[in-house]
Amino acid sequence: MILKNVHAHYETDHGPVVRAVDDVSLSVADGEVLGIVGESGCGKSTLASVISLTARPPLHVTAGEMVLDGEKITLTDQARIPQDWHGRKVSLLPQRAMNSLNPTARVSDFVVDVMRAHDPTILPKEAIEQALERLEQLSLPSRVLESYPHQLSGGMRQRVVAIVSTLLNPSTLIADEPTSALDVSSQKELVLLLQALLERGFIKRIIYITHDLPMLSNIADRIAVMYAGEIVEIDTTKSMIDSPRHPYAQTLIGSTLDPDPRVREHRIKGIKGAPPDLRKPPSGCRFHPRCPYIMDICSQESPPLVGTETNFCACWWVQKQTDATTFAKVQA
Amino acid sequence: MATIAPVSNAVSVRPGLLEGLRRSLAIATKRNRRFWFSLSLLTLLIAFSLFGPYVFDKTDPKRLIGGLYDSPSAEAWLGTDNFGRDVFTQLMFGTRTSLTIGVIAGLIAILIGVVIGTTAGYHGGRIEESLMAFTNIVITIPSIVILILLSIALTTRSVVTMGLIIGVTSWPWTARAVRAQTSSLRTREHVDIARISGAGAASLILREILPYMLSYIVMAFVLQLSSGILQEAALAMLGLGPSNAISLGIMLHWALLWESVRTGAWWAFIPPTVLLTLIAFSLLLLQSSADEIFNPRLRRK
Amino acid sequence: MSKFQRYLVNKLLWFILAFCIALVLNFLLPRLIPGNPVDTIVAQMSAGGGVSGPALEKLYNSYIAEFGLDQPLWKQFLIYLGNLSRGDLGTSFAQSPARVQRLVSEALPWTIALMLPAILVGWIVGNTLGALAGYKGGWLDRIVFPTSLFVSSIPYYCLAIILLYLFAVEFDIAPTGGGYGYDKSPSLTIPFIIDVLRHYWLPFLAQATIFIGGQAVGMRAMSIYELDADYVRFARGLGVSDNRITAYIFRNAMLPQVTGLALSIGGLVSGGLISEIVFSYPGIGTLLFKAIRTSDYPVIQGITLVVMVGVLTANFIVDIAYGFIDPRIRAKASGES
Repeated sequence: MILKNVHAHYETDHGPVVRAVDDVSLSVADGEVLGIVGESGCGKSTLASVISLTARPPLHVTAGEMVLDGEKITLTDQARIPQDWHGRKVSLLPQRAMNSLNPTARVSDFVVDVMRAHDPTILPKEAIEQALERLEQLSLPSRVLESYPHQLSGGMRQRVVAIVSTLLNPSTLIADEPTSALDVSSQKELVLLLQALLERGFIKRIIYITHDLPMLSNIADRIAVMYAGEIVEIDTTKSMIDSPRHPYAQTLIGSTLDPDPRVREHRIKGIKGAPPDLRKPPSGCRFHPRCPYIMDICSQESPPLVGTETNFCACWWVQKQTDATTFAKVQA
Repeated sequence: MATIAPVSNAVSVRPGLLEGLRRSLAIATKRNRRFWFSLSLLTLLIAFSLFGPYVFDKTDPKRLIGGLYDSPSAEAWLGTDNFGRDVFTQLMFGTRTSLTIGVIAGLIAILIGVVIGTTAGYHGGRIEESLMAFTNIVITIPSIVILILLSIALTTRSVVTMGLIIGVTSWPWTARAVRAQTSSLRTREHVDIARISGAGAASLILREILPYMLSYIVMAFVLQLSSGILQEAALAMLGLGPSNAISLGIMLHWALLWESVRTGAWWAFIPPTVLLTLIAFSLLLLQSSADEIFNPRLRRK
Repeated sequence: MSKFQRYLVNKLLWFILAFCIALVLNFLLPRLIPGNPVDTIVAQMSAGGGVSGPALEKLYNSYIAEFGLDQPLWKQFLIYLGNLSRGDLGTSFAQSPARVQRLVSEALPWTIALMLPAILVGWIVGNTLGALAGYKGGWLDRIVFPTSLFVSSIPYYCLAIILLYLFAVEFDIAPTGGGYGYDKSPSLTIPFIIDVLRHYWLPFLAQATIFIGGQAVGMRAMSIYELDADYVRFARGLGVSDNRITAYIFRNAMLPQVTGLALSIGGLVSGGLISEIVFSYPGIGTLLFKAIRTSDYPVIQGITLVVMVGVLTANFIVDIAYGFIDPRIRAKASGES
């Protein structure tokens, strides 16, 4: 799956638009889990809405394409996105799963509605049988189908939501902070469930969005760090954790992952300042007002991408470092 | 009787309260024509009832100027009522009485409602349960019945006592809405900070909770005002209006009793009907547009 | 005890409690009058010159005895309860020796036949309109919302007066009042039923229209609120059809409207009673109007009691119905953890 040059903004009642996602491009390979991490307000949930094709006013997608299993769609016009993409090609595992099921319908009723939306000829009975089979394969109790959402615990409800959102075998699942409201053991069970879905081939890839880095390092193959609506660095989970390159990624990872307080002390001095106002983002590199390694050029020009499509970093300072290393190598 | 919609989850005003209220009004109302329309209409009605008698030089509503249901003429612009009194003059004084009773009833209802609502919402537990149980009982017993029973017990009813008994029976809606707001405000940080620094319940409610729902209380008052006016009209039509004044409801009472509708004397019943409707409409519109201003979720995107 | 049973028992206890309070209020409030009501009524009678001397005294004594007004308050209350338990609401002052329960029971069917259908029709039509306006938006909303807001703000009796004037006087297509023609006597014949319907539709229209408006305004707000709900976004993301999503929204927005119905019955009934006066409809509203004019306290009290009990019962029924349609109450909590 490839995502190209996505731009999206929120319209506000007064004044300028909020440019929540700015020129984001991504690619996710088959069988891969891509994690997207960032502070709240960095645009990651907005990105989730855009990729999961659930963007609704006041959120507007102004540019961007998605290529999925050889088919290409433009993301700007909701109405022209083929109906069968919703839930079948891409599917959303939402934030606040607590409220994501209709409180006055049984889970089975919803399952039938979802299945029939994509295959009107299917009988309710068949739809429920398929769902039962799926529950069995993933060793979840079949009685959840007969329940109303309020009869399920929070963790179970989130797992049920995960099952329903993958019922149509979507090729990409977008998980938007799915564990944020869960206790630790429920979080673990959900992650195991997602891995099982991937292993059994019900879904081909997951884009997992969260601010929870430790959790992400357990499930993701690669991690993308978002800042102020842009992706500032993408790398494999291991290199991202061990040696983040972008100053923001360093701060973020240092502040959340390193167990040794001395190392933490050494690496970061906390992130000073607040994320920028996305109605008028800073010029040049958006991180420059908070960056410890700021150079003159940072506030003037957008930083270059250093690296390849699947593993890059957008930073002037990193480029300078890389150049220096290359130069040293050439010298030697 | 207007059904009073429970006040929806309005956004509370930020600290710096009056300034904040003024500013959010200034921004939001720029685009809300309904708000300005209803406010102007209401101002017009109030001015009509307060200054009308002097502007038009018609200051005695009880003076007989003609016979039974005289048609509108140069002297009696809206004809005469069943006693031969000028309908136009009565209309101005009637509106004044209705508004006065509504304001008294509204203030009393808000006072009781806010005291009960904040006490219940702030303290929670047993106090909340019993206060809300009481409130719910008062809601289920139709207030018109209580008003009828109280009115027949009072042999003379002044404008003030009418406002009083209506206020005393109509507070539960406000109490419920205020309680809901209070319990959500109670857990806010600034309330906790004030509590830790040793403020008592009463001062916490007054300083840390009430200011945050001022917009809310204003809207509740508008609803109470409107329901008070309509309750008075209903009572007056039954023949239980204030005994020392003329109100829109009393005008309707006599018009119905003296067969004005069937005899086609439209000037006796249409004007008070229209005025009551205009008052109720402008207040409801004011409340619903103010609700949209303070509660952006209701605004269509 | 399941959650549902607890809900039912809770509502039943509430009903009983409210009922008792209604009884006490109905007994106590009129006795706040300084002196006693019999003094007042007898004074009025003698002033009118209709009755005098020994006849007046006899009347006075019989009233005092009937209500036990010479007894202490608690004894009066027991007498009151005793009379009520026999279905005895006392003797009318104005239409003596007519029993109050007879007057009320003659009027009550008219009122119920007018209000019940009006409330039901108004509720269904209003909610459908409101849901459509909220969900579809656009031109439908631009018509339905302001109209409903305007209609719902009109006091019941004002609309009644305007409708009566327009249809009965100006257009002359409806009778000017009453439940049936003055020249007819009640019977179960086709002409009489047609005559009743001819008198029925206008009061019905007045009552239903305003309720439609109020319900539509409420339902529209609830629907817009539900449109934003997480489950709507999730269902959309899965490609569930708009029709099904509308059904979810309607169902969920409707539940608070049912509770709202329970709470608004009191207002509806009192509005309806006053409208009856406008139409001279032979229900308890008109009876009340006459009773107040003649200071007929037993009849007034009888009516207030019947109205209170009627409203409380209607409330109770709606609450129970709510328990049946909201799965969060009806469905038993499973042992899931």
